[in-house]
Amino acid sequence: MTGLGRFAWRSLRARPLRTALSIVGIALGVAVLFAALATDAGIEAGVGRTVDAVMGQSDLRIGAFEERGLSQSSLAAIRATPGVTVAAPVLEQQTYLQRDPLTTSDATAGAYGSPVTVIGIDPAIDGTAAGIHDLQLAAGQGLTSGGAAEALVPASLAHDLGLGISDTLTILGSNGPEPYRIVGLLAGGGPDPTAAGRAVVVPLASTSALFGSRGASWVDVRLADAATVGGVIAELDQSLTFEPYVLSDRADLAASLQASTAGFQALTALIAAVTLFGGAFLIFNTLSMTLSERVREIGLLRAAGATRRQVHRLVLVQALILGVAGSILGLVLGFGLSILIVRTVGLLGDRGVPIDGPIVPPQGVAFAILVGILVTLAAALEPAIQAGRISPIEALRPAQAGRRSIAGQLRWLAAVVVTVGVAGLAFWPIALGPFGVPGSGTDAAGIGRPLLVYAVLLIVTLLTPLVLGPLGRLASLPFALFLPTEARLSRGSLSRDRKRTALTVGALTIGLAMIVALGGLAGSAHAATDAWLTDVIPGDLVATSIRPVGAAEGVSEQLAAVAGVARVSPIARFAVAFRGVRLDAAAVAGSDLGADGRLTFLAGDRRAALIALDAGGSTIVPQAVADEFGLQVGDTLELPVGGGEAVDERIVGVVARGMPGQSGEAILIGWSDATSHFGVLGADAFAIRFAPGQAVAAGPALAAVARGLALEPTPLSGIESAINDAFDRLFSLFDTLALLAVLIAGLGIVNTLTMNVYERVREIGILRAAGMTRRQVWRMVVVEAGTMGVVGAFLGCLAGVVLGFALGGVAGLGSSAGGPTIPWLRIGLAAAFGIGIAMLAAFQPARIASRISIVRAVQFE
Amino acid sequence: MAIQQPILEARDLTKRYALGETIVDALRGVSLTVQPGEFVALMGSSGSGKSTLLHLLGGLDRPTTGDVILGGETISDLDDDAATRLRRDRTGFVFQFFNLIPLLDAAENVGLPLTIAGQDPRRGEAAERVRDVFELVDLGGKQHHRPDQLSAGEQQRVAIARALVNRPAIVLADEPTGNLDFTTGGEILEALWRSCAQRGQTIVLVTHDAKAAAYADRVEVIQDGLIRDEIVLGRRADHTTTALIARLAQLGL
Repeated sequence: MTGLGRFAWRSLRARPLRTALSIVGIALGVAVLFAALATDAGIEAGVGRTVDAVMGQSDLRIGAFEERGLSQSSLAAIRATPGVTVAAPVLEQQTYLQRDPLTTSDATAGAYGSPVTVIGIDPAIDGTAAGIHDLQLAAGQGLTSGGAAEALVPASLAHDLGLGISDTLTILGSNGPEPYRIVGLLAGGGPDPTAAGRAVVVPLASTSALFGSRGASWVDVRLADAATVGGVIAELDQSLTFEPYVLSDRADLAASLQASTAGFQALTALIAAVTLFGGAFLIFNTLSMTLSERVREIGLLRAAGATRRQVHRLVLVQALILGVAGSILGLVLGFGLSILIVRTVGLLGDRGVPIDGPIVPPQGVAFAILVGILVTLAAALEPAIQAGRISPIEALRPAQAGRRSIAGQLRWLAAVVVTVGVAGLAFWPIALGPFGVPGSGTDAAGIGRPLLVYAVLLIVTLLTPLVLGPLGRLASLPFALFLPTEARLSRGSLSRDRKRTALTVGALTIGLAMIVALGGLAGSAHAATDAWLTDVIPGDLVATSIRPVGAAEGVSEQLAAVAGVARVSPIARFAVAFRGVRLDAAAVAGSDLGADGRLTFLAGDRRAALIALDAGGSTIVPQAVADEFGLQVGDTLELPVGGGEAVDERIVGVVARGMPGQSGEAILIGWSDATSHFGVLGADAFAIRFAPGQAVAAGPALAAVARGLALEPTPLSGIESAINDAFDRLFSLFDTLALLAVLIAGLGIVNTLTMNVYERVREIGILRAAGMTRRQVWRMVVVEAGTMGVVGAFLGCLAGVVLGFALGGVAGLGSSAGGPTIPWLRIGLAAAFGIGIAMLAAFQPARIASRISIVRAVQFE
Repeated sequence: MAIQQPILEARDLTKRYALGETIVDALRGVSLTVQPGEFVALMGSSGSGKSTLLHLLGGLDRPTTGDVILGGETISDLDDDAATRLRRDRTGFVFQFFNLIPLLDAAENVGLPLTIAGQDPRRGEAAERVRDVFELVDLGGKQHHRPDQLSAGEQQRVAIARALVNRPAIVLADEPTGNLDFTTGGEILEALWRSCAQRGQTIVLVTHDAKAAAYADRVEVIQDGLIRDEIVLGRRADHTTTALIARLAQLGL
């Protein structure tokens, strides 16, 4: 065996370029896989850290159901509940900081532009050893109890703002700016990782000056050692009857955070699997190439007494060497790649989960190496079997390019597909976490989509050898226009070894399919965002408020009084509980939506529904919600409103899209119900529609009035582009990974072409002797590659469009409605890229071919 | 035979190449003239330099020193592209191993030089030429057989047809019968002979087989990179080997 092992090593060393290509191929596959795993571990750690930071030392969170928050009496009732040892109230509110042009420099202007999260705590509880939320100070001191206007700021934020201890921080409250003195700097990003370092901690008692008489957003509770979460919940059910509340524990929070990252993880995993697939092609090609060159040598070995088993082992040892080397290199590359991913993505999902790391998961290292080696060995299986079949007689007869059966091709493909598929299935549960893709409801559906993708790619790969002939002829037509001779002569070589060509083209196809599919997804995500907002928002711009604006304040009227404004419609977003699940809801004025012509009704009478909405007792639900819960017009939603009571809302219409909510689409409820039943105090946004042609003229005046009313006006296009920017960042990352897959396919083409060239050294010699110039030989190989490129591009774009439709709504990336778009521009670019890569890959093989010595070629036997 | 302008002339050719560490002098000063319509055989044992000489004559390789003049043009100092065009238009090659492209059928293989030159061998005058050479090598009806459907002799006759198709100034054949049995080898030689006798095709044949050399008008005996002797047989239709073998025996070969 050691002798044969050395033989294997030597044969790899004899062709260093090809060996290097194969190693790089498998390395890139393992790299993407490992990067996905490391990022995954980083996401898990980020989720864990967020849960820790958000929940602190608490066991249970009692959230306010209504906007006015939990009252002092609720807090007292919670504290009095048996089993509760500590109850820490927290108020969280987004607002802006005001810049003082006299004391701050222009360099810090940017730091004032984005919103900050004001976190009100009780300094008597938090910040002490007995507290629930750990506030680690980098400098200065903690907050004093008593409600003085003191603030703790993360050190990094203070630096960005150009402020230090004892400086004044001006926070915009609902009644105007309020000065706070910075007493301490927090270590790290502050208490809430989802605020991305832009958090300001102040005493809860001081927030009434900022936001009026709002109660705590939630109360975090620590339980006595003897108490159980269930027991305390039962107690609360008895004692906390005067205000509705929402309970959540660590597991709930972790689940919702993980759900918001699952789409990302699933897609990363998918691309990793696809890339690995490409790597497997490369390994297969390398090994069969080595074999076809060594048929006689192996024949001699067999004649000299080597058994079939020994020959099998010889090939598998070669594969093992390639697999191990590739996997190790892949780990290094993958670590670099995961750093890139973490830097690019930063915060993930609508909950803003930070990715830690990259973290190197020990089991991930083992897993990546194992998968790398397994895939390599699977790819080597067929070449090993072929090698074993070589009879000793082969050594005595001239080499003849044998044709292999279709059954053999299918068998090999099936082996690789099954291996990669099994590896993928083992990997997906890790990637997805136990929660599946949100919106799809169950784990099965979460795995279903990647499986679907896999099936599409498999079918395309299996079909490739069958359609290769006719497609190849079609694909060579454009080349025949310019280089008829070369096109004619290269035509046949695609069918020289159909399996090899099919695999080469297959790798290219899959990479391009991913690029096109991602383009389709990104396109439909964009289109969906645009269509969604235009479909439901009755205005050209949205003015948002940091506090609920009551109808009695007359803000709506003041905005409507600006010349050129046609309509102002108040909107409030809140949440309701339905069948134990949190559901986004929006308070809207049905008359405004009707007059503005918004909402696409799929069921129910438009006019009647909108009138009923304003009248109360009615709701309009988006199709996504209707589908999820199996609802239709005429059904009644029983929505709990606290105190053990519930209101009934009858469904009067189903619309294509609802208002954008926090984690999905919101159901629509009339203003009268929202204020009387659901504790909505006022609008948090106003949709403003200009009179036709007045938008440009009226814009500045309206912006001035809005800012005077402490509203932030944002054009609809601004909201769209903000959402789209987030998509783009994510998709650019996926694109990079998919490009890697195409790159691997490019390496595969180099391999295949080189092999084709070596196999016909003699033929090329004859062609040269018969009068073919070096340039013609060179062009012939390039045309051959171009034809493969065209076939791969065609199949890849086709599969990509199908995949785009199939992937349609990977949650968190695109939404279910709106339908996928066909990304023509991207198809064009992907096709050009694929063909370009293919022809570029031909460079070296073409050079080899054109330099073949005629004299040696025709004498060589 | 009237004195004519030679179609092919080699002047004092030497060829030296490195085989690993050792320097091999394959040719050490060979001069040769071939008249139009002549059938010349180059005979010699393995390693005598006969194949090297053929490669130089056909422009497949370049001499270390000396000149090759084909049809009045010095070809030994042409660059690769020019040498290639010359091969395409003025010479035809037949090699020992059946040098057919396995993916192309017989007609496509024969039409290869035309295809390379940018003509469509299925149309017009080109098609006519292909048909004509098929007749000449006695393979009418096998145009659309693929190489693996043809016998070894038939494959070699396809190779001859390919060498003849663009009516080259000279056909160079390197041991065309070396891989064939006695009878099949005879068919090949007959085909070459017909092209010479009926069409006036100039042929240079490399062989170590006296039976093959007996078809030639003249035999040049090569040994150790030099022309050792010239045996003039004259044009005969019987191709008997007796006279040739007698002469070779005198030379101690």
